[in-house]
Amino acid sequence: MSRFLVDRDGETHVRLLEGMELTKGQTVLAAAGLVLLFLVPDITRFTGLSFTAIHRGILFGLAAVGLNLLLRHTELVSFGHAAFFGVGAYGAAVLASHFDVSSGLLLLLGGVLAATTIAVLVGYFVAGYLDIYFALLTLAFNQVLYAFVLQSSYFNYSDGLSVRPDGLNPPTLFGLEWTSAGYDLILYYFTVVVLVVSLLVMWKLINSPFGRALDAIGQNRTRARFVGIPVEKYVWVAFVISGIYGGLAGGLFALLQLHVSPDPTLYAFVSGEILFMAILGGFGTLVGPVIGGVVLVYLLVQAPFYVEYYNALTGLTLVAVVLFLPEGILGSIPKIGTGLARRRRDPGLLREDVTAIGSSLRQSVTRAVTTVRIIVFGVN
Amino acid sequence: MLESLWIHVLNGLYYGSILFMIASGMTIIFGVLGILNLAHGELYALGAFCTFSIVGFLAGQVASPTGPVTAIIFGLVVLAGSLAAAAVLLPIGGALEATFVRPIYDRDEVYQLLLTYGLLLVLTDVMKVGWGPSPIDVGVYSGINEIPTTELVGISYPSYNVLVILVGVAVFAWLIWFFDRTKTGRIVRATAINREMSTAIGISTDRMFTLVFAIGAFFAGFGGAMVSIGPGSASLGMGLDWLVLSFVVIVIGGLGSLKGAFVGALMVGISSRVATAYYSPLELAAPFLLMVLVLLVRPEGLYGTWGEIE
Repeated sequence: MSRFLVDRDGETHVRLLEGMELTKGQTVLAAAGLVLLFLVPDITRFTGLSFTAIHRGILFGLAAVGLNLLLRHTELVSFGHAAFFGVGAYGAAVLASHFDVSSGLLLLLGGVLAATTIAVLVGYFVAGYLDIYFALLTLAFNQVLYAFVLQSSYFNYSDGLSVRPDGLNPPTLFGLEWTSAGYDLILYYFTVVVLVVSLLVMWKLINSPFGRALDAIGQNRTRARFVGIPVEKYVWVAFVISGIYGGLAGGLFALLQLHVSPDPTLYAFVSGEILFMAILGGFGTLVGPVIGGVVLVYLLVQAPFYVEYYNALTGLTLVAVVLFLPEGILGSIPKIGTGLARRRRDPGLLREDVTAIGSSLRQSVTRAVTTVRIIVFGVN
Repeated sequence: MLESLWIHVLNGLYYGSILFMIASGMTIIFGVLGILNLAHGELYALGAFCTFSIVGFLAGQVASPTGPVTAIIFGLVVLAGSLAAAAVLLPIGGALEATFVRPIYDRDEVYQLLLTYGLLLVLTDVMKVGWGPSPIDVGVYSGINEIPTTELVGISYPSYNVLVILVGVAVFAWLIWFFDRTKTGRIVRATAINREMSTAIGISTDRMFTLVFAIGAFFAGFGGAMVSIGPGSASLGMGLDWLVLSFVVIVIGGLGSLKGAFVGALMVGISSRVATAYYSPLELAAPFLLMVLVLLVRPEGLYGTWGEIE
C-alpha cells in the first residue's frame, strides 16, 4: 500500500490527508464533481444554462454549508443566516463605495471581517437557546439588521450600494483589471477554489474532536455538559464559524453582482432560502447544501424565464422533496441506487411497487371520503 | 400633542387588531399541531382576494350609503361579506392540512418549515391564476367611513379603524369563549395537552387537527378581509411582512398562548405606530427589538405555555 492508498475493512480507500479517506466510488464522484465545477463556464457557453445563476447558486450553497454546521451537528435551526450573508456583502460594498478600496480581495476580507464581528455578537446572545427559540431569535436579529440597513442613509436605504470603487469599473482581482467577461470568469474560478478549500476545512473541522463535541451537544446538551464540554462556548464558536462561511459567500456575492441592496441579501426570506437549500440538497451530507443551493437558486432565478407560474414550480419541488426525498437530493442518491439495483436483479419487485402505489392511493381516497362524510353528516 | 398621541395609540390598536387576527390563527396552529405554518401569510392574502370578489359583489347589490342608516346597513353587508370570504378558507385550510401537513407531524421541524414554505409559493401562484398579478382594491373604504362613530365622543377618527378594533376584540372574545366554554374547544385543548391520552379516550386527533388548521386559516382570511376593505389593496406579496410580524407577536406573547397573542399584537401595534410617529427610523426595527428584549428576559414569552391553549 502506498502513501495515498490504504486498506480499510477489506476495501481500498484513497487517502487525501490525515484522517481523510474516500472509497473508490466516492473518489470518482468527487473528481467528477470537481471537473464539472471547472467546466461550468464551457458547459454554459454551449447549452442554454445561465452561468450567473449557477455562480450565484454556488455562493448561496457556500452559505448553506456554513449553516449546515449548526443544523447537522448541533441540531440548531438558524433562521437568520442572511444576516451574515448580507453583512458580508455590505462589508465589501461599504469599503468599495465609501473608502474607494479597489482590490477585490481586500473587499472580500472586509466583508468576512464584518460578518465575523456580527456573528460573534449575535452568537453571544443566542448560544444558550434551543429549538424554535433559537430559530426565532436569529430571525429577530436578522430583521433588526435588515431594518437598520433599510433606513440608514449610510447604506443608501433600499437602493443599496454599488461595488464599483471608481464608480465605473469592477474591482481589481489579483492586482489586475479585467474586462467584464474576464472578470466573471476569474471570479468564478476563484469561487470554485474558495468553495473547495472551504469544504475541505469543513471536513477537517467536523472530523476533529471539536466536531465530535458538537455532535454530542446536538444529541443531548445535558449529557455533553456532564462529559465536560463547555456547551455554550462551543455553540458560540460553531455559530461564528458558520457566520464566517456566510460572510465569505456574501462578500463574493457582492463582487459578482457589483451592487448590494437589502432585499436580495438581508431579508428574512433569504435566510429561509439558505436553510431550505441545506435541506433540499441533503443536510446529512457535506456537499449536499451546495447542490441544494445551485438547484434552488436556479429554480428561483431562471424559472421565471421559462414558465409563468414559477413560484408554484419551486413550491411543488420543495413539497415533493419533503414528502418523497426526505434525505434531500444528495442524501437520497445511495438509497435510490440500491433500490434500482435490487429492481434490476429482481424485476418482480416492480409489480409489487405498482400494487403498493395503487393500494395507498385507494386508501387515501377512502380516508378522504370518510373525513368529508363525517364533517358533513357527523359520526353515524 | 396629547391629542395626536391618542391618535397614534388608536392607530396602534387598529394595526394590532389585524395583527392579532393573523397571529391568533398561527398561535393555535402552533399550540395544537406543533407546526410553524409559513403559509399562513398567504392564507391571509387569499382571504383578502376572496374579499375582493365576494364583498365587491355584495356591495354592488346594495346602494351606496347616503345617510347614517344606509351606512350601517352597508357596513353590515360588508362585514357579512368578509365573514363569507373568510369562510372560503375553512375548506381550503382543512384540505391543505389533510393532504400535505398530516404526513409530516412526526418529522423534524425543518421539514415542516420546508413544506409550509413550499405551500406558500404554490398558494402565491394560485392567487396569481385567480386574480392576476397586479394589486386590486375592493373600494368600500369610503362607504364604511360614512358610518358615524367617533363624532359622538367629539373626535374625528376613521370609522373603518374603529370597526376593525371592535372586530379584533370580538375575535379575541370568541376564541376565548370557544376554547374555554364549548365542548369542541375543550376537546381541542385536551388534544393539545396530551395527544396519546386524548386518542385513548376516543378523540380523533386527525379530525381535531384538521379543524384547528381550518379555524386558523379562517382567522388569517378574516384578517385579510379586514385589510382589503380598508384603504389598502390585496396584492400577491402582502402576506410576507405580516407573516414575519406574526412570528414576533406569538413569540412575545408565548407560543401557543391566545392571551399572549392578543397582548403581544397590541404591544407590537402600539409600539410600532408610536415609534413611527416620533422617531421614524425605528418603524421596522421596533417590533424586533421588542421581541429580542422579551426573549432575552423571558424566553418562554409573556404568557408562555408549551403545547397548550389558554
